[in-house]
Amino acid sequence: MTETDAFAADLLRGNTDTIVLGVLRRADNYGFEIHKTIREAAGGDHEIKEATLYATYRRLEKDGLVESYWGDESQGGRRKYYRITDAGRAVYRARVSAWVATRRIIDTLLDVKDK
Amino acid sequence: MNTDIHRLLDEAFAGVDMTAEARELKEEVRANLMARTDELESTGSSPAAAARRAIEELGPIEDLLGSPVASKTPSIAELHARNKVRPKPGFVVRTTLLSLAAAGAITVAVLMAFEVIDGGPSGVVALGVAAAAALGFVTADSLRQETTTNYAMPIGRAVGWGVATFAIIASLAAFAGFATDSDAVPLAIVGGALALAALGLFSWLGATQTNRHKAWVQQQSHHQAYGQATRFETDIAAASRFGIYSGVVWLVGIGAAIGLAIAFAWWWSLVVLGVCTVITMLILAKMLYAPEPAKDADK
Repeated sequence: MTETDAFAADLLRGNTDTIVLGVLRRADNYGFEIHKTIREAAGGDHEIKEATLYATYRRLEKDGLVESYWGDESQGGRRKYYRITDAGRAVYRARVSAWVATRRIIDTLLDVKDK
Repeated sequence: MNTDIHRLLDEAFAGVDMTAEARELKEEVRANLMARTDELESTGSSPAAAARRAIEELGPIEDLLGSPVASKTPSIAELHARNKVRPKPGFVVRTTLLSLAAAGAITVAVLMAFEVIDGGPSGVVALGVAAAAALGFVTADSLRQETTTNYAMPIGRAVGWGVATFAIIASLAAFAGFATDSDAVPLAIVGGALALAALGLFSWLGATQTNRHKAWVQQQSHHQAYGQATRFETDIAAASRFGIYSGVVWLVGIGAAIGLAIAFAWWWSLVVLGVCTVITMLILAKMLYAPEPAKDADK
């Protein structure tokens, strides 16, 4: 991994909680699909590790930002689904506005001029 | 179906202390690995290779389990102070003013209903609906506020609680108008419809409610298993006593309502049923939030 890749991966990893909340905001989901959504959005280069995601689910659940329940699949393993709570939505919104504000500051400081 | 995954999963979890948490994690991981191997097989991997690769992607199991954070737990008072959120001045002012206005409107409406002041049923209903609107707004507004223990409720849900509050109070206003003038049958119909709508909305909101507590409150309730549980969950006898009490209240109430309806006029039964509701709520409040019995202290 190049130094640039590591920088991008760090940025992504630093926002894992918010990213997971963002995925769950659309619909309840289970680990594989959440991981796949992130993997596909990241284009395969800098993905968030599965181990990180399991730790994230546990932390989010402990903080009351998500709730989990077991699916009723008849064949194969039963899936553990996660659902975002009202507290989770509030945190998600606060984090997104913080991100937007911070991105603007960094864009200004780094002199980014696209679009 | 790919069976390699189960063997590899057992191997990965060999030597892990199988606590309830670890067992649950293993089942969660199993379903995710099966979905991942299906995906890999659909792109042409052999079942054995797909299973191996899925397990490898997972990394060491110890990383998944993590280590519990052990640190000194601060007292509730300290946590409260650290997480304190002051109410917004504007919110306090408008809530106070609207509550005062609603209380004034209800007082005048009651005086009108008993014909102390002239106003008739239309006056009673108009003031009642105004009070309902004010209190409905106060409800929604309060739920939208971030507090020390809770996050602000999403706007749609907060509005739902506000509308339900409005509907239940407005239905009382319509019934009061009807009690003032028993020829105004449409008022009773509107009141009944509003009450049903309010009950339906309250039930739906209650059933779909999710967590709104902040993380520090959540953790606090993990530390003290009994701290946040309601009394009915921990004390079955109290729950059944509550059932018996409210059963008695309602039996007596319904009997009295029928008696009054036959002896005087049928709308008296509404008054009795209203009183029964209030008594039930008071018993509920008294019993559900009673202090824990002392026997829990020596556990």
